[in-house]
Amino acid sequence: MAQLSDITNAVIRTEIEEFIDDPAEIERNVELFAKASAQMQEIAAALLEGDNDTVDQLTRIALDEGIEALEIMDDGLIAGMGIVGIKFRDGFIFVPEVLVCARAMKAGMAHIEPILAASGAEPAGTVIMGTVKGDLHDIGKNLCIMMLRGGGFIVIDLGVDTSPEEFLEAVAEHDAHVIGMSALLTTTMPNMAKTVEAFKDAGLREKVRFMVGGAPVTPEFAEDVGADGYGKDAMAAVELATKLAIEVRA
Amino acid sequence: MTTEDIPRLSGEWMTPRRRFISALFGGRVDKIPAMTLSSVATLEGMEIADADFPEAHLDAEKMARLAATAHENLGLDTVMPVFHSQLEADALDADTWWGEKDNWPATKGHVLDDPDSFKIPPDYLERRSFKAVLGAIKLLRKRYPDVGIVGKVYGPWSVGFHLVGIENWLMGTITEPDKIRRYLEVLLPASMMSAHAQFEAGADAVMWADHANRELCSPETYRDFLLEMHQGVTEEMGGPSILHCCGETTDRIDYFAEAGWDCFHFESQVDPVKAKEIVRDRMSLFGNINNPTILFSGTYDDTYKACMEVLEAGIQGVAPEGSVPLGVKMEVLQALSDSARDYSNANRPDGRLVTFNPTK
Repeated sequence: MAQLSDITNAVIRTEIEEFIDDPAEIERNVELFAKASAQMQEIAAALLEGDNDTVDQLTRIALDEGIEALEIMDDGLIAGMGIVGIKFRDGFIFVPEVLVCARAMKAGMAHIEPILAASGAEPAGTVIMGTVKGDLHDIGKNLCIMMLRGGGFIVIDLGVDTSPEEFLEAVAEHDAHVIGMSALLTTTMPNMAKTVEAFKDAGLREKVRFMVGGAPVTPEFAEDVGADGYGKDAMAAVELATKLAIEVRA
Repeated sequence: MTTEDIPRLSGEWMTPRRRFISALFGGRVDKIPAMTLSSVATLEGMEIADADFPEAHLDAEKMARLAATAHENLGLDTVMPVFHSQLEADALDADTWWGEKDNWPATKGHVLDDPDSFKIPPDYLERRSFKAVLGAIKLLRKRYPDVGIVGKVYGPWSVGFHLVGIENWLMGTITEPDKIRRYLEVLLPASMMSAHAQFEAGADAVMWADHANRELCSPETYRDFLLEMHQGVTEEMGGPSILHCCGETTDRIDYFAEAGWDCFHFESQVDPVKAKEIVRDRMSLFGNINNPTILFSGTYDDTYKACMEVLEAGIQGVAPEGSVPLGVKMEVLQALSDSARDYSNANRPDGRLVTFNPTK
């Protein structure tokens, strides 16, 4: 079993020591970073510090040195973002800090994504994402999209103010089976139900799975509107999308 | 005439306006007020008032008629004509989409990237959004002298979301904090002008919304960026002030009380008992009936029960947590005033004044 001292990067060690309480999560992260190269740890550390320029630079260097894009994504970017997610979930950091780290992840993913897309690797699934009709807030949705792409999904981003018809068209066009709907306003949340209804009316409800999220959304509300799952944050969205994608294929 | 001949005040003897203002300051009331502090405009209300969205946002007469349904049809002690959140931003040249009958207005594009390039237009208070709101407040004052009128102002933090973009703004608190402080400084006068104009038009109180809730930032962010500024706002606003902040705010309510707000309008994520423990008598609390699961998806009975639980916590007034979804049924909203009436009738030991929180 790996030890904390096996992690060479001091920033990562401190992050694990100071911000992760759950023994299972400590063990998982120690294992993950202990097996990651010093270079990958450095990328993760820069991401945790929200240093997008350094992440951009280190990612380019690593790719130039012949390191696999997948390794950089998994052991550097996603591993770093995993700690960010834990810190956010446990209230150590808030949305502004997450956004700064996400900007750093984006800087790295800008180099990784084209390589992965060209590699022809089988995606985990296709997810249609959109903020519901009447709502123009997209921070949470965008964080979910970034993590979903990191999780191997093809994500079609319909943006904000998305009507039920736009969700229907996107599902048909991209042959997608998982739909993610986001809302920040309690006044627009009911539009989630309208989208689910539109799929029922079109006779497509059984062919897709809906996941919903957003600050005021609750698991109870998700059930009320007929969604198949609720994701509290971006990390939960990836887990949920994975589960729903498997379920809908079965 | 002897003392015995003088009729004794009993039951509901205060006007809704007097009751609302007294409750706002934590004072004596004959009945705990049931209120709207944001919007209770609904599709049903639009039919009744013959005043639909989006026209009701920019037409003073329609806005006043739709706002009046809160009192006329729901029996609430207040009316609130500012249904949307675009008042200041639109008059500051934001790209506003005024929505549809069943959809709310929103700001589409962001127009500001340098605080030093910002100027309040000379005709700011004469622009379309202000014309409608100030006109509606004047009409409501004339038509309802005894009903509480609540105005609404977006503070510079929330106006900044509209003009600069929420993502840029929140990230800026970490990457460019001085720039965000400068934005707050230059935007503040626009919000203050809005508050003063609404008081002058006849509002009894102004609800000031600056969304610095837990879903968006830390309590320290509120302390470091807004607390001192809000202390200045509450000193200079020129009338009763109600702070509104969406979402979970328990960890910063103490700061809100320190800022000097007369009242805090809070949302359903906050436990009213805990909120009361934190603020004690430093400010009043109005709230916090949940929109999506109670008012929208629930029944009259669900709402009545939720109101009773909030009233039991000893807060000064019951209201929806924020602007209600347009599809909420008026029959469900009726539970707000019914529960306040029944609770007050059961807790008026001298027949004249309600005893707050009798069991705690």
